[in-house]
Amino acid sequence: MRRRDLASIFLTAVPVAAQTPAATAPDDLTAARERVRGAGAELAKIAVPMATEPAFQFKAY
Amino acid sequence: MKPNFPEEFFYLSLGEIQAKLRAKEFKVKELTEAWCDRLESRGPKYNALAHSLRKPAMKAAKYHDKDFKRERFRSPLHGIPYGAKDLLSYADHPTEWGAPPFKGQVFKEHAKVISKLEGVGANCIGKLAMVELAGGGGYRYANASSTGPGLNPWDITRWSGGSSSGSGAAVAAGLVPFALGSETWGSILTPAAYCGVTGLRPTYGLVSRSGAMALSWTMDKIGPLCRTAEDCGLVLQVIAGGDSDDPGSAGKSFYYTPEYVRPFSEMRIGWNPADLDAVEDPGVRLALHEAVQVLLKLGFQVKEVKLPELPYGTVASTIIGCEMASVFEPLVADGRVQQLVDKTQAAGIVAATDYKATDYLKAMRLRRVIQEAMGKVFDEVDVLISPSRGGVAERISERLDVGGRGRLPLGAAGNVAGLPALSLPCGLAQNLPVGISVVSRAYQENLLLAVGKQFQAQTDWHKRRPPLPA
Repeated sequence: MRRRDLASIFLTAVPVAAQTPAATAPDDLTAARERVRGAGAELAKIAVPMATEPAFQFKAY
Repeated sequence: MKPNFPEEFFYLSLGEIQAKLRAKEFKVKELTEAWCDRLESRGPKYNALAHSLRKPAMKAAKYHDKDFKRERFRSPLHGIPYGAKDLLSYADHPTEWGAPPFKGQVFKEHAKVISKLEGVGANCIGKLAMVELAGGGGYRYANASSTGPGLNPWDITRWSGGSSSGSGAAVAAGLVPFALGSETWGSILTPAAYCGVTGLRPTYGLVSRSGAMALSWTMDKIGPLCRTAEDCGLVLQVIAGGDSDDPGSAGKSFYYTPEYVRPFSEMRIGWNPADLDAVEDPGVRLALHEAVQVLLKLGFQVKEVKLPELPYGTVASTIIGCEMASVFEPLVADGRVQQLVDKTQAAGIVAATDYKATDYLKAMRLRRVIQEAMGKVFDEVDVLISPSRGGVAERISERLDVGGRGRLPLGAAGNVAGLPALSLPCGLAQNLPVGISVVSRAYQENLLLAVGKQFQAQTDWHKRRPPLPA
């Protein structure tokens, strides 16, 4: 095995964590995640005209 | 000889205190010292004080006395002490956001609102307690703060409201003549209603948030909690105005001129009878009913309105959740979120990182729909009224994360649409204050304040005082 092949194994084998979620009480976290999923599901049910733009503005300066 | 400040002095309006200062009944230094003594001795009884600013305040007072000696009056707030929610930075002094992970945090500059007040001679004497991180993650108990639960001066077994807990309690107990608070969703109106003071949530973008902790960039607002609507107008006139350091700034100023609003007889007040039906406590219902009668006597025409069926609460919680997840991402990444007092709040912040980009964008698109819907409502009426809360202050031991916490649809709709609101004390139930909210189109603060001023000319609820602390 060439060194370059070995390097590629190491590089792909170590995932880079975007962030480490902190430990919270499992019940609280499950309930909070359920609320987040519920909110997403409720929003998904509502039809919005395709032309409706989000309500924020970016101002170049 | 040291002047004697009787108990009732600490409940005077800003205009009354200013008149006494200009009449040279006492010096600014004496005034500042008296308020500092009171805030430091009584503030901890209500868990209302985060940090005293006696030293810089006494130093500033000396300069103000020189101004008064030469009759150089800078503003109606000149020489008057106040308190600021600990979410606002005060240079070289702790700004801890009520949260253990930020213990000892110090900024180099004042928040813009504190600089503006300093510029007109108002004197910040203390940082006031708050729910940790303004409670964006959702919290289970009133105890969710590094300073302990905000205790209500009317009954210390009850909560003073959140997240501007110390601001509400300190004004109610006469520990400061006025205070600054902030609202993302209910954090000015709730403590104002629970503590029996007048609270103004300005239009989004009218007051700079530069130097304030961000919870939700597109929903955070800073506003005053005072004894009267008139006082709110005087404070807003100073803190409002454009600011290039705040990307959300509308670049607009505010001049307190309630005398120029149209006659009330030409205006319509809108209210939804279902809001009153949703209130369970008969004492609260009676107080609100009587408040509506007072507003009718002011000459308004009345129209029953129903807000369009839209998911106001879900849109508000999604926007706050997504923006909060981004703001506090480092706190989650390094695990410091676990240092928060309330573990439900910690879980809420961690879980908020699960929101999808499409959830946020959908909420922001629905926000546009809500803004348009509210615009149509205000084509029919000039102001909307609603209970500030669905009941009186909760017990300290009570769970706050169940039953919607007395939130009414207009609270979410008004905050999502960025509309201003004024909460007025309108009665007592179970010996606890009840508040009624008046909401208008964006930038119609003068209209709200004119309604508030006339309401307070007809009633004396804003003059009621809580019992003295034990």
